[in-house]
Amino acid sequence: MIVIGEKINGTRKPVAKAIQERDAAFIRDLARRQFENGASYLDINAGTLPKREPEDMAWLVEHIQESVPDAILCLDSANPVALKAGIEKAAKTPMLNSLSGEKFRIDGVLPLACEFKTELIILALDDKGIPRTSEGRLAIVRNLIEMTRAGGLPDEKLFVDPLVMAISTGTGNGNISLETCRMIHEEFPRVHLTCGLSNISFGMPLRSVLNQAFIVLTIQAGMDSVIVNPEERELRAIMMAAETVLGMDRHCMNFNRAFRAGKIGPKATA
Amino acid sequence: MKDLVNAVAEMMEDDAKNLTQKYLDQGAPPMEIFEAYKEALAIVGKRFEEGIYFVPELILAGEMMKTASEMMKDLMVGEKASDSNRLGKFLLGTGEGDIHDIGKDMVAMLMDMNGFEVRDLGVDVPAQRFSDAAKEFQPDIVGLSGLLTLSFESMKQVVDALKEIGMRDKVKVIIGGGQVDEHACKYVEADAWVTDAVAGVKYAVNWMEK
Repeated sequence: MIVIGEKINGTRKPVAKAIQERDAAFIRDLARRQFENGASYLDINAGTLPKREPEDMAWLVEHIQESVPDAILCLDSANPVALKAGIEKAAKTPMLNSLSGEKFRIDGVLPLACEFKTELIILALDDKGIPRTSEGRLAIVRNLIEMTRAGGLPDEKLFVDPLVMAISTGTGNGNISLETCRMIHEEFPRVHLTCGLSNISFGMPLRSVLNQAFIVLTIQAGMDSVIVNPEERELRAIMMAAETVLGMDRHCMNFNRAFRAGKIGPKATA
Repeated sequence: MKDLVNAVAEMMEDDAKNLTQKYLDQGAPPMEIFEAYKEALAIVGKRFEEGIYFVPELILAGEMMKTASEMMKDLMVGEKASDSNRLGKFLLGTGEGDIHDIGKDMVAMLMDMNGFEVRDLGVDVPAQRFSDAAKEFQPDIVGLSGLLTLSFESMKQVVDALKEIGMRDKVKVIIGGGQVDEHACKYVEADAWVTDAVAGVKYAVNWMEK
């Protein structure tokens, strides 16, 4: 699984404070901890007002890549100016989060992705909102992939998010996302599938258990990436276990190596 | 009607429906049945705040209430249907640039169940549409929903628009969403802020009862 660490997000209060006060040590530490816990991509969302956002994005990129030079940065904004500022500062080609069928993202984000040949997250929604059916979501994605192909982006660079909605507000919501995954995986076998996992459990007790159950099912439906808090140790083990039992882990070596390294399973007592 | 209150509060969907029918058959006044539902709803809200109930229980309570309203619809003409019996008017929407609707929809449902006449403008609503609707609908309370920090800006624009048409002093403004706090409330110049729908209903009911 390709793990995209979600924690550097200005809509979270401690991060907002660190951005405001230019607390580089806090941001660097957050980046390093996520990377060490398996997040090869780090989402960066400044979450600030449009006027300040480009400057904040550039500052975040600068410090995060110094802290973890091997991580790939995932610039998370709807503001093309902020994305551009981040791209220009980034030493390695970043991922952009995100394109959708919304006109302002097609106008603002798509040209940047094509120009800089970035990896790109694609959301299955448009100006009318999130379709209630998997067919509706697939239609939006199909339309967008036509555009990225026309712009010269290979499918391998795309991470499609089928969108996960809360099971608490509609008991069909899990199945709609899973069905969308299966349909996209079948029609576009080379694109990646990703999602913000924790949405599934909004408004529910025992959220982490629900998240774990759902991630297993999404992996079977073709999901190969996830946007999560990488420091959730149990989630990491569940994801690896799912891949292993689905035959995606050659000779089970990934699982067993992770076990021997103490990355999954009971924590070694010091 | 303690049994009806209990059935609703304990999420016994079938029992609630059957008891409602039984009371209606016995000739109980619909308003009395309605009051029983409201009492149950208060219990559900309290349990939600205590972390015993969660979002699905709120939604199921809403559905039970809707079923009951359907059953009583024909009987309540002239009772609940007249807006003069309403507690107040509530104008609601998610601000421009934000399309989150879970919280907003829940607020709309709960406000309606608590006796408000609700007008829901939907999501991604520009300030101008809020002020146009305010002029026409004459709400007592304006509720602004938004999950993104970016939506604080559009919430502020709505408040400014209300000032412009001279209505800011005539309405209470409440903002709600996962990220709102005291700081956001001051920035937006709202009267109150909440992070869940049940808390929002409490404020609204208190304001109207003053």
